[in-house]
Order: sequence, then C-alpha cells, then structure tokens
Amino acid sequence: MEYSFRAHRIAGGIGADDRFWESLEEGVFRLPRCAGCDRWMWPAHFRCGGCGSWEQRWEPVEPVGSVYSWTRSWYVFDRTAERAEDVPYVVVVAEIPAAGGARVVGVLDGPDEGVRVGAPLRGRIDAPSAKSKGYAAVRWSLAGE
Amino acid sequence: MGKGVNRMMRGTTAVVGIGETPFHKRGTSGEPALKLALRAIVAAAEDAGIAPSEIDGFVSYGSERNDGQRMMSALGTEELRFGALVWTHGGGIPGALGLAATAIVTGQAEVVAVYRAMSESGGRRLRVDVAQDDTAAQQLVNGLDGPAQMCALRTMRLIEAEGVPARTLREMALVSYHHAKRNPRAIGRDAALDERIYDESRWISEPYRLFDCSRESDAGVAVIMVSAERAKDLRQRPAYLLGAPMGAVKGWGVLEENHDPYWSAGFRGVADRLWRETGYGPGDVDVAQIYENMTGMGVSALIEHRFCDPATAGDFITFDNLTAPDGGLPINTSGGNLAEGFIHGMSLVSEAVRQIRGTSPNQVPGASLSLMTGGPGDPVVSTALLGDASTV
Ligand SMILES: [Zn+2]
Repeated sequence: MEYSFRAHRIAGGIGADDRFWESLEEGVFRLPRCAGCDRWMWPAHFRCGGCGSWEQRWEPVEPVGSVYSWTRSWYVFDRTAERAEDVPYVVVVAEIPAAGGARVVGVLDGPDEGVRVGAPLRGRIDAPSAKSKGYAAVRWSLAGE
Repeated sequence: MGKGVNRMMRGTTAVVGIGETPFHKRGTSGEPALKLALRAIVAAAEDAGIAPSEIDGFVSYGSERNDGQRMMSALGTEELRFGALVWTHGGGIPGALGLAATAIVTGQAEVVAVYRAMSESGGRRLRVDVAQDDTAAQQLVNGLDGPAQMCALRTMRLIEAEGVPARTLREMALVSYHHAKRNPRAIGRDAALDERIYDESRWISEPYRLFDCSRESDAGVAVIMVSAERAKDLRQRPAYLLGAPMGAVKGWGVLEENHDPYWSAGFRGVADRLWRETGYGPGDVDVAQIYENMTGMGVSALIEHRFCDPATAGDFITFDNLTAPDGGLPINTSGGNLAEGFIHGMSLVSEAVRQIRGTSPNQVPGASLSLMTGGPGDPVVSTALLGDASTV
C-alpha cells in the first residue's frame, strides 16, 4: 500500500509512530502495547523503558474516550494555516480508558458547546487531506451523556 | 530520587556583568542576531569591568546560532576554552548558568558569557529559533502548531480538573504590565492594561487571550560569570549562583501530550532539588522572575516551586501579592516576557541580577534572594536561585 503520510513526512517528535499513521490510512485505530510486558506504550517509542523489550504489538482499539483537555484556537498559526477557514476550531486531548489511559490528540467535529474536561468522545477516521497535512487523522465528536 | 544533593557549586560563582541591547518589536532592530549578540556580550563585559577579549567560555540554550567561534575575531578572543548549548528551549536558561558555573569551578574556563540573541529574518523565527522544527506529527496533523496552543491545553486542565481559578491568568498579566510602566526599556510600557482591556481582548487559544502571551522581540541579552573569588574584586555587587538544577522526572520529557501531571510546567523534582541544593525554601525568596511564555504556565511554575498549591493558587496569585515593592512575592519586576520583551526569556536573568544589585526599575527593598525559573512546559527545564554575599 502507498501511504500518503510517507510523502508528507513531518520530522518532529519521537517518530516511532509510523504504524499508527499506516493503520489510520487502512481505516483502523491502533495503539501499541509492549510485546514483553503488555503495557500500553504511548506515545510510541522504540524500546520499553519498563522491561527493555524492543518489540511492540499494535492492537485495534475502539476510538472511545473522554476529554482530558481541550482548547479553542482563534488564531491562524503558521504551520497549521490550512485550517484558516475553520478558525475558531477546537482541539481535544482524548483519554482512552481501553488503552490504559493513552491520550490521543484530535480536532473536534460538530457542535462544541458542551466541550469540557470529562465530556465523552467518539472518534472516526478522516482520510488524508491538506488540513491534516497529508496524514489520515482521528476526528472526535462529543458523544452526549 | 534518592540521589545525592549537589552542594559543590553553591555560591562558588557569580554573575558580575549584564548587558542588553534595546528591545525592538520583532523584525525592527535592523541588525542581524550575531551583531545583537556581540553588542550584548560587549556591554556585559564592560559592565563587569572585564575586557571582552578575556571571555573564554560561551554558553547558551535552545537554537542559539551565534556561537563563540563565530564571535572570536570580533571580540578579540585570546582563547576559546569552553562552549555549549543546554537543552532544549527556554527551559534551559537557568541550566545554562549552571553549566557555565560547572566550567568555571572545574577550571575549564574563567570568564563565561551566557547569552541569547534573536532577530527576525525570513519569517521562520518561531519555527526555527524557538520551536526548532521539532513539533510532532501528532500535533501538527491535528491543528496544533504554536506553543500558545500546547500551553493552553495544559492550562485548561489546570483550570477545569485542578480547580485553579481562571482569573489567576489575568492577575499574572496585570502584574507584568504594571511593572513595565516603570521600565523605560519595556516594549509594553504604554499598554495601560486593566481588567476591562484584558477581558475584552481577543482569544488566541482558550483559555489564553492576547495579553496572556509573550511578545516577540529582536534583542540580545548577555551576562558574564566568573568565580566567587574573582567576583569580589570587580566593580559590581556580585549575584552569587546558589543553585541551578536542570532536568525532568519520570512522567515528563517528550511525551506528545501524555505528560503526568498534564498541567505541570515540568518543575516536579527540579524545584525540590533547587531547595535542597541551596538550603532555602519558597518562603525565603524575596523576588522571582517567572518565565511566562503564557500566563498559565507561570501559574503552574509557581505551584511547582511550592509557593502555593492548586487549592491556594487563587489566594496567592493576586495583583497585590505579586507586585513590587510590597507584595509577598513580587514577580516579573521588569515586565517579563509579556510586557518587557521576549528574548527567549534571557532578559529575566538580567532582571534577577538587578534585584540583587538594587537597580531594578521595580526594586524590592533589601532583596537578597532572587529566583529565576526557566521556560515552563519544556521537556526538560531548569531553575536558579541567585543571592547576595549574605546568602552564601
Ligand atoms: Zn515492556
């Protein structure tokens, strides 16, 4: 499979999460667990600092969680200027209990009036687009109580 | 934890010279960063009464590109004996003082310049000079670019999950702009910020408004450090370095929004080491320069240095308590990154030194213990305590 994100590679960060982006382009939300001690290891890294294993298992996870934190951005920032027409937009940090409390960032879709820490979220996967800089991305929506 | 306490460096070096160019709004200095760095270093050497050619150590942080080797011929440097950058961004400033002290105490260098200079060019300043192009895909793909947004997420958690009142952000901004009024160098000295202007200012990234965010400036700032012994014979009252630990504990580092606790500014462990290494505690501090890229991160830094806790932050972080000369803990007495100007936080060091000398535009009477906390929220941070001769 030709993955879009490889042609739009962003160099910053740890950079051990290729499988995450590949999975999204395959339509599956996967997060990594250590193959040695089974703990969720997020953000992805090359070695488990707990048990020393260099192997990970990428498991499909249902994109369901809650708002760990959020911000509504009103300014067009330099490197995310592709979203200028969406300003203001809300970005959430979603906490995912089924993955050991891993936190995954995403843009909030739909009504945002009820956004607050603790609000339930459900995610879906968006195909690569200019707004997401050529990467597939998880978009979150407030799930209602 | 459980590791030894470093007391070897305590009071063995001092800041003896400070130098600053004027602060210009970004892109208006008309001079390249290298020239601004030279101007600041030469001014700091003259302030100390030391020939610029005697400087044999060069220490900075972040992406400073005006390295010593590029300045040697302009300074008349006889011999460059030590040079280094401290990780990562503004979190490294006090750590740069600590590294300079290490070089002096171990005899690797005798006269060390610690400095930072920035000048807008080509519109890549934030990306290269401050962010260093190391923002993760997890962030950029999802609409997060600026430090204002990353810090906003942490401060929103501080407010909504920890219960710290949002008005503490406004108090921090009002304090800095109030102090700037008496500082002729401050870019924001005429802003006349009050509660109404703050409340009506535009959002940048909630919970941050325009006045919660630091200014972008062109300038150079430098300090000169030497051994405590040599400092006694120089013309300025020495500001002794009592401690400047840097680092991060488990749950911190590069974690792409998975930090614990998330609202932290990164000082857990580091601040406690500062108190253990110096023998002082938060109650002893006379005045503090709190690096505030954004107001809310300064709130977190104050909490993690144990000036207050999330439950008492609303009582502690008030305009009256944080204002010179009569507040319990006057902070950011030059106007700080918000209202004086932002040279990646370096001007907070010179202000911390001025308080020891008694020459601040908002002097705290009799100040002898002066704190400077590094860039909050950085993957590694550092913090420093400076004192006069009575504190060593
Ligand atoms: Zn493991």
